[in-house]
Amino acid sequence: MDEKAKTRVGGPEDPRQGLEAVVALRRTLEALEAAQVENAFVAGWSWAQIAEVLGVSKQAVHKKHAKRIRDRYPGEPPRRKRKGE
Amino acid sequence: MIFNRFTKETRRCVVAAVEEARMLGHDSIGDEDLLLGILRADEGVAAEALSSLGVTLEGARKESEGMLSDALSSVGISLEELRREAGDAFEMRIPDYRKIPFSPKAKKVLERALREAGRLRDNHLGTEHVMLGILRDEDGKAVRMLARLGVSSEMLEDRLYELRGRAAS
Repeated sequence: MDEKAKTRVGGPEDPRQGLEAVVALRRTLEALEAAQVENAFVAGWSWAQIAEVLGVSKQAVHKKHAKRIRDRYPGEPPRRKRKGE
Repeated sequence: MIFNRFTKETRRCVVAAVEEARMLGHDSIGDEDLLLGILRADEGVAAEALSSLGVTLEGARKESEGMLSDALSSVGISLEELRREAGDAFEMRIPDYRKIPFSPKAKKVLERALREAGRLRDNHLGTEHVMLGILRDEDGKAVRMLARLGVSSEMLEDRLYELRGRAAS
């Protein structure tokens, strides 16, 4: 492969390494989304606001995250202020 | 059905593998999760062989995360920085209500384990057969994880036979 072609492909030399990076990104993205949705929720954002920024429907965000976040904050009211506010 | 021949130890390893995958945020059970499962269940010949070579559950988990971190670095992302940026809410763990499927690689490990049992003329499918099934995949994450821990496939395979021989006599 000449230098130009390599630049165009823009990936690592080893396809396995490139594909495994995708898997690592996917798994990390899931964790990051969960964390940022939770952060927004704790900051008092509504599902509708969170969904709008993520560019998906309110139902989609609720379905994916509500149960996990409820489980993490059992018995607490749905709207909370961040500590110290 | 292949599961009928699993020993009690092998069943526990498989259950433990699912738990490890969940904890580490692996959205499918891979060959490396089966290795972690063997270490977590800590029963049977495979766990004994690994432990005798200095492989611990903690060490293996660390390498698993190290491999994740390396994969992210290869595309210019720092797991450390991401974690710091996202705060306490960031965790790789997959919620309990989400099902985690077995990957084709993990299924192949179990198929190979069955063949290894046949080759060794064993009626049961023990953890040693699962371990051999894992070791047959040179490109697998589990084999690379072991290499990072300073354990080669040959070393581990020899130890498995040694311990089996001792258990039989």
